[in-house]
Amino acid sequence: MNRDRPVRRMPMLLSALVALTLAIVPLPDVIDPLRPDFLVLVVYYWSIEAPSAGGLTLAFAAGLAIDVARGVVLGEHALALTLTAAWAMHLRLRIRVFSIPKQALTIFGLLAIYQFILFWVDGATGYPVTDWSRWLEPFVGAAIWPLIVATLRRLHER
Amino acid sequence: MVAFRSHESAGRSSGLLLRSVLYALLALGLIVLDKRYDQLGKIRRALSVVAYPLELGVASPFRGWAWLRQSITTRDTLRAENARLRAKLLDERFRLQRYAALQAENAELRGLRTSTAGVGARPLVADIMDVDIDAFRERVLVDKGAAEGVRVGQAVLDAHGVFGQVESVGERTCDVLMLSDATSAIPVMINRTGLRTIAVGTGDLGRLKLPYLPTTADVAKGDLLVTSGLGGVYPEGYPVGTVVDVKIDTVRSLADVDVRTAAKLDSSRELLILRATPRPPAPTATATAPAAGASSPRPAKPAKHR
Repeated sequence: MNRDRPVRRMPMLLSALVALTLAIVPLPDVIDPLRPDFLVLVVYYWSIEAPSAGGLTLAFAAGLAIDVARGVVLGEHALALTLTAAWAMHLRLRIRVFSIPKQALTIFGLLAIYQFILFWVDGATGYPVTDWSRWLEPFVGAAIWPLIVATLRRLHER
Repeated sequence: MVAFRSHESAGRSSGLLLRSVLYALLALGLIVLDKRYDQLGKIRRALSVVAYPLELGVASPFRGWAWLRQSITTRDTLRAENARLRAKLLDERFRLQRYAALQAENAELRGLRTSTAGVGARPLVADIMDVDIDAFRERVLVDKGAAEGVRVGQAVLDAHGVFGQVESVGERTCDVLMLSDATSAIPVMINRTGLRTIAVGTGDLGRLKLPYLPTTADVAKGDLLVTSGLGGVYPEGYPVGTVVDVKIDTVRSLADVDVRTAAKLDSSRELLILRATPRPPAPTATATAPAAGASSPRPAKPAKHR
């Protein structure tokens, strides 16, 4: 327990809010599929670095927020984010000592599972999948992970 | 689903496992409730009230910029625009005169056919908000909601034709599903021949297809599709799109017809929401209807394409 750093909720809430805003800022159609899932990455960061700050409640609430913002079936992103964040939380002690590239690789895996759960729920709820570009998300997310860590660590450790 | 091996801190791990299973079950419950029983309208609406300030915050810089640009246009531009609009108004008035005559004639003919009249809908003018909902689904967020009388299933038009329908409603906003979304289907009629069929979205912005036409159907490039009024969502007679390509494959029994939407799905800013949902057409009109489930709020989407 005391291996986790002390809890401060403000940075966590602030970063989640900023990430949610970034998720709905309009972008040109060409680069829109390349938009990273900021909120998901932020949730992973807090799950790994300070699970007691938000924990699974944060993951569930953030997933629900994405569901509402995107107008999809309620619970879809909540399910995917809760499960992957739980896994990140479980492996956090190992992930923390990884080098940044290795961490990015782990994030890639988590995002791929995340997308797969979404894909599965889409299929189960009868939404036909016509686009392959969703599978870009794990690549984009992993690529931007170092930036997320650098930004949030500054916020976190201040 | 996710396997947890017991690890250095077994106590915390099992707590984590328990909590994650609980949350996952909660999420699954939400999915089932929302999808199968359609019970979450109120929750969704309450959550959208919370989301509204955020959406407004994101959209307002764009609005402010538009306002700023408008307020610093020069006098000359304004004068030129004024002249152009005046000319356009004259032109539209001229057309409207003809339209009035046509409408009267139409009403008379309908009276003869003892069929139902079109909708007496009071349209509500709405703006698309500069909020990006989802890159992969064809939806837009619109700045009118339940407070203004918007309801799920109402038809949405733009200046050029049918745009889509209201998919979910918040207190001050609503989501509009565009025609070309892969889950959208609209009963149409080929204006030239009166042939009725269903246009289905492709998931590709501004493109529809007609998957249920036999190769022998009379359809040609350039044909105008209008709403047939069947299915009870879209009022009759509004332009849906034009046929851009017909591929007849003799091996298959169904034609491959590409349609471009009349509505400018990618560039329209102002929309009209038809607040009165049209009455379902009289039984005489549905006798030859290809649409299944004419009473359901959204045209039933057939399970499989061909």
